[in-house]
Amino acid sequence: MHLVQEGDPAAFEQLYDRHGGASFALAYRMVGDRVTAEDISQEAFLSIWRSRARYQADRGSVRTWVLGIVHHRAIDALRRNLVHEKRRSSADGIEERFEAPESTPVEAGRREEARAVRAALEDLPDEQTRVIELAYFGGFSHSQIAEMLQMPIGTVKGRMRLGLDKLRRSLAAVAA
Amino acid sequence: MSVERHHSQEENVGAYLLSALTEIETRAFEKHLEECPVCRDEIDRLRPAVDALPRSVSPVSAPPSLKQSLMAVVSEEAREARGEPRGEGFARRMREKLAGLSGSMAGMQPGVAGAVASVVLLAGIVAGGAGVYAVTQASDDGGSGGGSRIVAAKVDKTEVPLASGSLVLSDRTKDGAVLRVHGLPTLDSKSTYQVWLHRDGEVISQSLFSVGEDGEGAAAVTDDVENAQAVMITREPAGGARAPSEKPVLSVRL
Repeated sequence: MHLVQEGDPAAFEQLYDRHGGASFALAYRMVGDRVTAEDISQEAFLSIWRSRARYQADRGSVRTWVLGIVHHRAIDALRRNLVHEKRRSSADGIEERFEAPESTPVEAGRREEARAVRAALEDLPDEQTRVIELAYFGGFSHSQIAEMLQMPIGTVKGRMRLGLDKLRRSLAAVAA
Repeated sequence: MSVERHHSQEENVGAYLLSALTEIETRAFEKHLEECPVCRDEIDRLRPAVDALPRSVSPVSAPPSLKQSLMAVVSEEAREARGEPRGEGFARRMREKLAGLSGSMAGMQPGVAGAVASVVLLAGIVAGGAGVYAVTQASDDGGSGGGSRIVAAKVDKTEVPLASGSLVLSDRTKDGAVLRVHGLPTLDSKSTYQVWLHRDGEVISQSLFSVGEDGEGAAAVTDDVENAQAVMITREPAGGARAPSEKPVLSVRL
């Protein structure tokens, strides 16, 4: 990361190689459209390149930083209503539609990690999983979710917080 | 900070972390965070759960064109950051490419200080038939006036699935711009790629170009791009057309 911050394109290429797949997958999961997901990934990585000096190691890992930027870009796209109905497209089968990378130990580890996080998410009460997924992956605001699910805004916010708390505890238990 | 204010904001912790607050609510909550250690601690406590959410998505291979397009922009910006004149890296690469194609280009020099960018249209010998390369010879203003801007192109993936491109705009919009493409299919000798500028409701022809066997090419946008809406590429009969005859295969919105 130090070399990326110094403006070394080769180091940035390595950073892209390491996190590009996860970033594209996240964008695709959110917008459900390949072209828009490419645009979001490209915008996000250009933004990362241009703001590379702002990365602070003590605020979290490079991966968390990169995926956070991709998430914000995808939320922007969703809220600009760029993807309309495509946003409801499911990410099921994405791995079959786009050829999976070679099964290196790193990739295998990430797939295992993905399975563990999905299991923890699915382990939450359904109503908590639903509000978390609609907000994080769907880009919907709390008031939109309240309207969709026909429940008070306070209930939506409460379920978000409870769900995150339970997810945190569950993941901490797995890691321990 | 009042207890009431804390209670009114406390319930927003989860929604804030999930980006589910409106912009106004987000600003209000962030202001509250500045003065509320309890909510700050709660944010820190729950953040690992939110950071884990993107990791629930299995990584996949991103399309190769995404990396090509991204690294083209990054390499260009890195060159500029090293102090090379705007567009010089690109112009040099194009000169090198052209030198490889035609010995007559080997002595081409960069623009002189203060010179307005000139457009040199060269008949290039490209694989698959004769074509025209359009090269903008970058102006050198001694580094004053800031850097160039690079805008990524949108590609019609159904027509040209492997293509990517970007437009390099000078600060001085009158100098026009350079459109770079990668992964475009080569055309037969009866066809050419044509660049158009969409401005003030008009679509104005800019230049014709071909791509090499590697799918790389570049073309000049010779008109002032100020107030233009888009730059586009279409496939046209050799010699070009008076107006686009098909939907653009690649476009850059300005």
